[in-house]
Amino acid sequence: MKLQEEAGKNRENQKKGNTSRFLTISFFVVVAVCVGVFTVFTLAMSRKSDEAINEIGTVYMTGMNERISMHFQTTIESRLSRIEYLIQSVPPQDADDYEAMCAALSYGAEARGLQQLALYMDDGSFEMIFGNPIELADPEPFLNSMRKGEKKAAVGWDSSGEEMIIMGISAEYPAKNGKKSIALAAGIPADYMKQLLALDNEYSLVYSHIIRRDGSFVIKSRNVEEDNYFDLMREYFQKNSGKDSETYVEELKQAMEKEEDYTDLFYLETDRRHIYCSSLPYSEWYLITVMPYGSLDQTVNKLGNERFCLMLLSMGVITLALIVVFLMYFRFTQNQIHELERAEREAVRANGAKSEFLSNMSHDIRTPMNAIMGMTAIAAANIDNQQQVRNCLKKISLSGKHLLGLINDILDMSKIESGRMSLCTEEVSIPEIMESLVNMIQPQMKEKKQQFDIFIDHVETEKVYCDSVRLNQVLLNLLSNAMKFTPEGGTIQVSLKEKESPLGENYVRMHLYVRDTGIGMTPEFMEKIFDSFTREDSKRVRKTEGTGLGMAITKYIVDAMKGNIEVESQLGKGTTFHVTLDLEKADASKEELRLPECHMLVVDDDEELCRSTADALTEMGITADWALDGDTAIRMIEEEDRKQENYRIILLDWKMPEKNGIETAREIRRKMGNKIPILLISAYDWSDIEQEAREAGVTGFISKPLFKSTLYYGIRQCTEKPDPVNAAKNQGADFGGARVLVAEDNDLNWEIAEELLSGLGLELEHAENGQICVDLFRRSPEGYYAAILMDIRMPVMTGYEATRAIRELKRPDADIPIIAMTADAFSEDAQKCLDCGMNAHVAKPIDIREIAKLLERYVTV
Amino acid sequence: MTLKECYYVLEGDYEGVTGRLGGERLVRKFIFKFLNDPSYAALVKSLETGDYEEAFRAAHTIKGICQNLGFTRLGASSSLLTEALRHQNAEEYEALAALVKEDYERTFSAIRSLQAEENDGRTL
Repeated sequence: MKLQEEAGKNRENQKKGNTSRFLTISFFVVVAVCVGVFTVFTLAMSRKSDEAINEIGTVYMTGMNERISMHFQTTIESRLSRIEYLIQSVPPQDADDYEAMCAALSYGAEARGLQQLALYMDDGSFEMIFGNPIELADPEPFLNSMRKGEKKAAVGWDSSGEEMIIMGISAEYPAKNGKKSIALAAGIPADYMKQLLALDNEYSLVYSHIIRRDGSFVIKSRNVEEDNYFDLMREYFQKNSGKDSETYVEELKQAMEKEEDYTDLFYLETDRRHIYCSSLPYSEWYLITVMPYGSLDQTVNKLGNERFCLMLLSMGVITLALIVVFLMYFRFTQNQIHELERAEREAVRANGAKSEFLSNMSHDIRTPMNAIMGMTAIAAANIDNQQQVRNCLKKISLSGKHLLGLINDILDMSKIESGRMSLCTEEVSIPEIMESLVNMIQPQMKEKKQQFDIFIDHVETEKVYCDSVRLNQVLLNLLSNAMKFTPEGGTIQVSLKEKESPLGENYVRMHLYVRDTGIGMTPEFMEKIFDSFTREDSKRVRKTEGTGLGMAITKYIVDAMKGNIEVESQLGKGTTFHVTLDLEKADASKEELRLPECHMLVVDDDEELCRSTADALTEMGITADWALDGDTAIRMIEEEDRKQENYRIILLDWKMPEKNGIETAREIRRKMGNKIPILLISAYDWSDIEQEAREAGVTGFISKPLFKSTLYYGIRQCTEKPDPVNAAKNQGADFGGARVLVAEDNDLNWEIAEELLSGLGLELEHAENGQICVDLFRRSPEGYYAAILMDIRMPVMTGYEATRAIRELKRPDADIPIIAMTADAFSEDAQKCLDCGMNAHVAKPIDIREIAKLLERYVTV
Repeated sequence: MTLKECYYVLEGDYEGVTGRLGGERLVRKFIFKFLNDPSYAALVKSLETGDYEEAFRAAHTIKGICQNLGFTRLGASSSLLTEALRHQNAEEYEALAALVKEDYERTFSAIRSLQAEENDGRTL
């Protein structure tokens, strides 16, 4: 059992561990997935935004470059067009006069805002017409273009060293020395161009350079010290996306060669910048525009950071929510698991109790069965030894009875568990019940040498409505329980008290105590004593008897009677059961219990009993004294004798310490003679002591319990001469030929009834079923039948129906006494009998005494 | 075989019945009549035809007779059958009917052998 429990616990722990492990793991997995998804998402987002910025940068830079180059183009074009206009206004073919031509040109040039004007000669030299002499920085391409008749711009210096943009348009003007020019060239200051193009705006993020194909600057902006842009690139470009600065240079050069635009990202120190390069028209130049991402990056980074924070926050919120959900779920599952475990434990316990009960039961059934088998075998082997066979049979019969008791208990319990047990309320006499109870248990108590006492305290109401069979069962269960657990020589005491009932005047509250000095109970056991299938630990009770159902049945019956049962117990000291029942008083015509006035003495060692007996006697009109022991009693009797006021009757308890009842009686007789009747009170069967008592001079016996009626009838025998008619009635009545109709479908049962009842002086007639019974009664003259005995289960018409039919007949004797005979002692039938108009019912087997008693009550002779 | 032995064999309450009927004479008279009692045959027949109401009545009658004649064992089993039929616990009929059959046969044969011995005794 212990091992099993441990295994169970391990299993439970394991289960619990599994669940929490699963939850923990899945929690971390979910959190990890969450973190992963968010990280990937954030990274992707920031990369996307980088890409977007690059794209924006590219678009912007393209536009920027286009704009600048357009601007460049228009600027150059406007200058070129001015030169063209100049050429138109001074057509070369009309320039016959060199001086006049020069004057006209220089005037026109000045008017058009040109700083220099020169004729470009075929050998690449300038023949100045106006302004400082100029010189080309790179004469070769310019000369080529001019020779081809193209328009062109190039960088150069004037004689003062100022950087100039020199533009040329082919035109054949006559020059000095009879030569002819190939083009007309004009200069504008490069700074002006720079400003015009806004290449170096301090307030703009973007700045531009213009370079030549070899990387040398045409126009530098900002504080650039190097002379070649490629050197600048090599020096400052940081690695980006695995490219080194040389690669940038190479890529740029290639793009230049292919006449394509070039764009890329690079890092200047930590600053990310975008470079865009496109070729400029009318020149061999390239426009390089650079945009630092600085503040844009800052903004984007800020955005990115904010987004990251938001992501982090939302991840935190989600994680928190997850934790809450998981925790709640965890608690929920834990609770569920606990619930399950509890239910399982409960089921296992109930199952255990049932199987334990079953095994106990099997054991309990087997024990008497074994006894029966064994005794049968012994009897068979000693068939000639009458003594032994008788002995065996006795034991077999005992075991059989025990078995029957077990089976009855189980049947009762199954009835209770299926809710089929019902109470059958009828008028019962408490004294009769107590008396039969005492008679029933006395032999067993005697056998176990247990002291038994029964004590009635002021019980006024002797007839109540109650289910006598069930009440008897309760009392019997309590008493047999007490007997079972009380060792030899122990004391068992029953007391009955009447109190006012809270239910009203028509009710009485009966307190019944069953006390024993037995082994008692542990507090743990007391808690479950009324549960089914429990029995006191078999270690303490070696010889177990009964099913363990007795107390459960008792409790159930008491509950069904709306009563209460309590138990008090001390281990090793004893147990007290206390049953409280509210019972309805039977409104039986109260017989006035009055005796002729006289003086009596009650002798008992129990003061309570003396008092309550004396009180009861006083109510009957008798003045009673009481004494607690024999010697005191004798002294009191002598005293009275001296006063010539003799006691009329003496009630003497048999069991008293020091001097018992018989000894006391003997002494009284010795001293006082035979004039005072002495009645001996005994809770026991007095047959054993009868002879001794009679010899000692005892006149008669009164048996406990001492109800008022018991006292009354007991004492009346001594106070008046017995009524001959009553006596005869009591001794087995003669009904003087009263006719009784017996409705019974079974011939055998009828014959038995006839045989038995005719002995009472009854004349019997037989009706084979309910219908015949009704017919016979209907046809009979009024008052012909004195009573009807009615079987219930009959063909054609049942006893119930027949009774109803008779009750409905319109004749004065339709209220004829009808007594049901039923085979169901415990059954619901009894109540039904009364309900459908029968006067009483008797259980089979037919007991002549019982029927005689009932007939006496109902049949007037 | 004495009446007491007969009751021992059929597991009855000898003391009870002789007490109630005032001696062995009536007991003998009635238990021999029990051999001709039609109730058991009625029970068997009605169980066969499925007339459970009739079966209930028959079982009930047998129970009543057993109580009157102190046939404790047969009384107990017929009582169980009566209750099963009363509450229509159909699943129990067969087993309980078999129990009643066994007990009835035991009771019947015990009484039969008592009767046979008695008749023998008379002829002797």
